[in-house]
Amino acid sequence: MGQVIEVKGLRKSFGRRDVLHGIDFGVERGEVFGVIGPNGAGKTTTMRCLLDIIRPSAGSIRILGENPGAAGPKLRRKIGYLPGELFLEQRITGRRLLAHYAAISGAVRPGRADELAERFNLDLDRHTRKLSKGNKQKLGLVQAFMHDPEVLILDEPTSGLDPLMQQEFRALLREAQQRGQTIFLSSHVLSEVQQAADRVAILRDGDIVQVSSVSALREGAHRQIRIAVTGVPGPELELLLRDVPGLHTIEVQTAGELTEISATHEGAIRPLIRALAPLQLADLVIEEPDLEESVLTLYGNGGNDGTGGTGAASAAGASGRRGDVAGPRGFSERSRS
Amino acid sequence: MSHSAPPATRDGRTDPARILPLFRRALLDHWRSTLAWAVGLAAAILVYLPLFPSLGNSDEMQDMINALPPEMTRALNYDQIASGPGYTQATIFGLIGFLLLTIASVSWGASAVAGDEESGQLELTLAHAVTRPQVVLERTLAIAVRTVALAAVVFILVLLLNEPAELGIQTQDLFGATVLFGGLALLSGMAALFVGAVSGRRLYGLAAGAGVAVLSYVSNAVGRQSPDLQWLLNLSPYHWAYGNSPVANGADWGAAAWLWGISAALAGLSAVALQRRDVGI
Repeated sequence: MGQVIEVKGLRKSFGRRDVLHGIDFGVERGEVFGVIGPNGAGKTTTMRCLLDIIRPSAGSIRILGENPGAAGPKLRRKIGYLPGELFLEQRITGRRLLAHYAAISGAVRPGRADELAERFNLDLDRHTRKLSKGNKQKLGLVQAFMHDPEVLILDEPTSGLDPLMQQEFRALLREAQQRGQTIFLSSHVLSEVQQAADRVAILRDGDIVQVSSVSALREGAHRQIRIAVTGVPGPELELLLRDVPGLHTIEVQTAGELTEISATHEGAIRPLIRALAPLQLADLVIEEPDLEESVLTLYGNGGNDGTGGTGAASAAGASGRRGDVAGPRGFSERSRS
Repeated sequence: MSHSAPPATRDGRTDPARILPLFRRALLDHWRSTLAWAVGLAAAILVYLPLFPSLGNSDEMQDMINALPPEMTRALNYDQIASGPGYTQATIFGLIGFLLLTIASVSWGASAVAGDEESGQLELTLAHAVTRPQVVLERTLAIAVRTVALAAVVFILVLLLNEPAELGIQTQDLFGATVLFGGLALLSGMAALFVGAVSGRRLYGLAAGAGVAVLSYVSNAVGRQSPDLQWLLNLSPYHWAYGNSPVANGADWGAAAWLWGISAALAGLSAVALQRRDVGI
């Protein structure tokens, strides 16, 4: 398995402003590789370098074994690109715009654009500048996917899409992946990447902080847990749960018969369940591991000191990127008993 | 490899939609504005030229022109306004037509690269299977075609009005003047294109195009005032084109070659400039 995208020591500065400080990563064939990071971390700059829209200050890029700067149109024919900010202000219909992009990219199978537009519920006969943001985004996606390129480079692909369309987009990604297409996408919303990608690079201020698989990220992440038990006083319950690995009690509340514990948990779930099994459970809430929190730790400002959500919130608040990371979290699986 | 690459037979040459796709798109994107400029030029011609028999072709007009300060007459190129060709030269080719066609060409030139880049749309085009010189040159070709089309509108309307308005213009002189007229406007447009391609800023392109046109006009007007200032005329593309009143005396084809040649060179330099820099930053 050769790497489809291979980036080594990529640096980019605009004048005296260093945007990328020498990043390295590789994307395997058929992989969905996500890069996440706050706005301004260098995600878009990286993608523009891959497409030869801007030129690296140093380092090397190989896509399908070729240097984008030298390979030119021949290589870009095999790439589908969705820019992070899509401007479609022409006074032409979506259909004609797509026909134009088809004429300057790889061959498009007849009917393919309509097929994609239908999936996204997009009307191709409307003038592009009258389209809503979401519909423009769909047009951008159709444009990127329609020639079935070997490599897809998608900057914030689900921005502006409603949840149903985000789901359709993920289905499209999986199909592309099964066909052997390689996907490199970015987001500042972790939930988006965590649902779509196999591996994630975390980019912060022009450096890759970590590349890890989503499952590894998930393993290191903390679940929020709330346990309500009847008939066991608070201190006794705390004692019972003390030896469960990975469990950190945050707060114990007692209201009459009912004792409620809020805690965070990381690692294997079975020991916890085993410890809870003999108890008179009134309620049990286990939230999906919060990757945002573990990513925030990697962003640097602490956050995983056992205080869970508060830590994450303060970390985000302190760095002023609360809005960047606190996007829609998709479906938060809750198991209640 | 499980993914199927596009078959080689379906690239480039076979599909007619792939012949000059950016040129076609540029023409289609701008047909409304081209039409609007054509209407404007036609309106100017239809207002000015039919007035000639009653206005220019009379002794009172000549007396009035004679009464004007000679500096003013020279600046406005009104010296020969009493003749049909002189009148057409001064009003249409030298003033209102020059103004309209230059504005059109400069706005197209500034928007072709820099305007498209500022609006964020150039990035997506360049991400496709095109080269940057191809983008610049196909769009330049579209500007040239539109400019020629507007010049052709002027040529045809003047020709149609030649008899009824008693202008007495020779067709071949009109043709030569039209070639110079188009080349002069295109030169400013290409200056706008070039500065836009270098800087990525539409405003700078507009300023450069307008600057070339204004300096060209002004150095002609000032250079005609005295023999001491005649060197200014050599710097004025306006003077290269219109120095010998082509509508009356036929084109200076050498000047036409310069105007179109410099325009072509500026287009080539624009292609090189865009090739060498980052886009959309």
